[in-house]
Amino acid sequence: MSKRSLIRLVSTLLICAACGYFFIPLSKVRLGLDLRGGVHFELEVQGHEALEADLRDTRDRITERIQDKAITGISVKSDAASVHVEGITPENQPAVTKILSNFGGYAIAEQGSTRILTQKELFKKSLKDDANKRAQQIIENRINQFGVAEPEITPSGAEGNRIIVELPGVGEAERERIKGLLSTPGRLEVRFLSKKQPNLFPVKTEAEALAMLGAQLPEGTELFPELEEESTVVTNQMKAAIRAAKPGEKKADNVRQWVLLESKVYYEGSAITDASRGQDQFNTNTVNFTLNREGADANAKLTEIASNEGRQFAFLLDRKVISVLRSDQKIIGSGVEIKGNFTQQQADDLALKLKSGSLRASMKFLEEQSMGPSLGADSIKHGITAAVIGFGTIIIFMVLWYKWSGLNAIVALTVNLIVMLGLLGSFQATITLPGIAGFALTLGIAVDANILIFERIREELDNGRSVAGAIQMGFDKVFWTIVDSHVTQLFAALLLFIFGTGPVKGFAVSLTVGVVASLFTSIYVSRFIYDWILERHPGTKTLSV
Amino acid sequence: MHIFKKLPQFDFMKWKGVALTISWGIIVICFLLARPWSSNSRVKVGMQFTGGIDMMVRFTIPMEADQIRKALQHGGINDAALVNYSSPAGTEDYSIKVKAKQGQDSKDSTIQINKILDVLKSLDPQSKTDPRHDLNTESSLALSEKWYAANLLGLSGDEQSKRATYDGWAGKITEARDIKGSISNYNELPSTLPAPLREMIQKEFRLGHMTVRKNESFSPSISGEWTSKTLSAVFWASVAILLYVMFRFTMSFAVGGIIALLHDILMALGLFVLFGYEFSVPVVASFLILMGYSMADTIVVFDRIRENSHRPEYRRVPITKLINDSINQTLSRTILTSMSVLFVAFCLLVFGGPALRDLSFPIFVGVITGTYSSIYIASPVVVYWDRFFGGKDKLKQHA
Repeated sequence: MSKRSLIRLVSTLLICAACGYFFIPLSKVRLGLDLRGGVHFELEVQGHEALEADLRDTRDRITERIQDKAITGISVKSDAASVHVEGITPENQPAVTKILSNFGGYAIAEQGSTRILTQKELFKKSLKDDANKRAQQIIENRINQFGVAEPEITPSGAEGNRIIVELPGVGEAERERIKGLLSTPGRLEVRFLSKKQPNLFPVKTEAEALAMLGAQLPEGTELFPELEEESTVVTNQMKAAIRAAKPGEKKADNVRQWVLLESKVYYEGSAITDASRGQDQFNTNTVNFTLNREGADANAKLTEIASNEGRQFAFLLDRKVISVLRSDQKIIGSGVEIKGNFTQQQADDLALKLKSGSLRASMKFLEEQSMGPSLGADSIKHGITAAVIGFGTIIIFMVLWYKWSGLNAIVALTVNLIVMLGLLGSFQATITLPGIAGFALTLGIAVDANILIFERIREELDNGRSVAGAIQMGFDKVFWTIVDSHVTQLFAALLLFIFGTGPVKGFAVSLTVGVVASLFTSIYVSRFIYDWILERHPGTKTLSV
Repeated sequence: MHIFKKLPQFDFMKWKGVALTISWGIIVICFLLARPWSSNSRVKVGMQFTGGIDMMVRFTIPMEADQIRKALQHGGINDAALVNYSSPAGTEDYSIKVKAKQGQDSKDSTIQINKILDVLKSLDPQSKTDPRHDLNTESSLALSEKWYAANLLGLSGDEQSKRATYDGWAGKITEARDIKGSISNYNELPSTLPAPLREMIQKEFRLGHMTVRKNESFSPSISGEWTSKTLSAVFWASVAILLYVMFRFTMSFAVGGIIALLHDILMALGLFVLFGYEFSVPVVASFLILMGYSMADTIVVFDRIRENSHRPEYRRVPITKLINDSINQTLSRTILTSMSVLFVAFCLLVFGGPALRDLSFPIFVGVITGTYSSIYIASPVVVYWDRFFGGKDKLKQHA
């Protein structure tokens, strides 16, 4: 063997070995959700909710500072887009202005005795970005604590406000529960019930409750609903109960009563360091959590006021009351127990949410897919059958048509297959059902390159060239044709890769990889085999093609 | 073996007018039949593009489509599209699709999904007589939770290790269920399952006859994005190919190639719709592949035209002869290369199952029209373009 042939042989074998490393054993090849089964969610962070939450926070902080400074006659309100500070007089104006100047993200407009604070664009953007980042982190937390193997959580979308969650092996039965875990912010708040009596309104709508208050909310209070059950977390048992009551219909929210609460928040979920489900002496489910120091101080103050004045306070989750409590004594320490009407699973999920932290905004489900593994197994079976039959037919055809040269093509195809698998493996690409189709098709396209070359060689032989000359001409003349035709296919494949997601991306990856592999094998490997044979039989007069 | 004993001498260009008329005629007829503009058009579009729910369920009992339709209507789902799929003996596979209404949000679709699922579950006659839970739709976590709460195996140790044991067994059961799709007999439970757990399952669970194989829902807001995304992918692929061919060949070739490409896409689109296939994102992907392939096929012919145009014997012959000879010289390889891809597309179409059938159809059609269009669409356009915008010398200069 000449030195040149040896180098080519060794480099081909090396490439094959390197590729083999990436896909042997075959378990290294990752299968897409459509083949192995699982759930896929595409979520959108509702950024406007983060903005609204900040408006409410700002309102509360302004109120707090105004009270600290003992300024009177000022009322602070917020709506969906702004905070209104009303009742400014020439006397209190300097003090109020000083307080407001601390809120740098806000633009302040004067309107008589009112100051209107709106969020600046830059500030809005940073709030939204923050909400997105937090959402990604918290979803990761929640999924990890839920105990799913190999979850994939990837940001997406032009504004970065989308998150794709892929959970292989999770079935339809778990889908609903995970959805509940992902969609709700999980924001815990503790507030006092209003001093004004009555503060509980057993009516269904906020308007009715407001009517009972005489159409006017008392200063510094808000109305919140308390539900019969947490609607976002529905267990199987509850589903059965609901179904029994009203077949085929599920009530979204069933409000038990409206509760009048003070606007001031004593402490929030962010003060929680750990949470778990527990049981009290009556065997009802509770959620226990541990507070950080700040939270523990706030809790001590809260329980002290509650026991001294005989007042009730409420735990709210995502602006819905989950539990109303009173306290007989001041509680010092960091451990808190929430009693509520929880099922075991609800208590678990609530603990998980408290532990993982709260989202700044809720999530909207843009896309939701669950695929059963048995469907995937069927798809694999069908896909592989089709690919193997297609490949087999091509092999038989090539050998019948081109005889020994056909064998050359088969060697090239086999190397092609190895390189394709290797490239797929090294990109850690996932194989999807359309990917299998792409795989089979590129093999068909790869064989095209060989056909082009062989036909050209035949033509040159017919034109009376020597064997060596025909091979030389065949490869040289066809080289640009092959490059051109591969490049156009590469364009299509690359655009698929850019615009596609999920299964389509898998399709695009196998096509791209297949086109690249085909270029290498048809031009380099096939050529090498011919050269090697020519070397061993110099001056041969016939070529089996 | 050769397709042609001697170099063929077909006069392709003589029939170019007829061929152009017939093939564009077919395309026009396809579109008149498909009526994409009217409300009762034949164009079927997947839920990914319109927004809505797309479910696939399997019944292991005889189930008529009418029965399901009536039950769905009774449950308040009037606009569901129901399709029966071929499935193994003893099972009935159905696909249920419900288009989203304008302005529907994710909460509505959750309610709708649950409604449909409830209706489907109630179709299992057992569900009315047997109050027990259905093992085939039970979540493995809920199952393990039950075992753990009762500590059926009488395990000792800390909570975590106990949970892990029960989780493991629950996982084994879902695994056994997943392989077959559903458990139809208590004997199919894993044989290693400890007796107390097995007894508990037999006592407290029934084996339902309905399983959800696929459950997808798309919000209308994202579906609009899918449409624009896929259309722009097709658009930019065309632009990229056009620019490349312009760069490698000349304007006339690029125009010819793109018109041939358009022809192939329109033909495949028309036939795809008329044969009753449904557009989905993977189908659009396969249309992009069709584009790549069709262009590759055209390039083989173009390359030969360019090569021949440099040869002295073609200096003084009309362009139709140049093109005719080039096509004839490449005819056998055009046929062979198309055949090989056609084989694969055919296998995918026949053996690939329902999911791959939609996707391989455009490619199957595209390979046939791609071969034809290289000869009868792309090449005549080169001839016409050159007649209007410059002589053959110009072609040769640039080529």
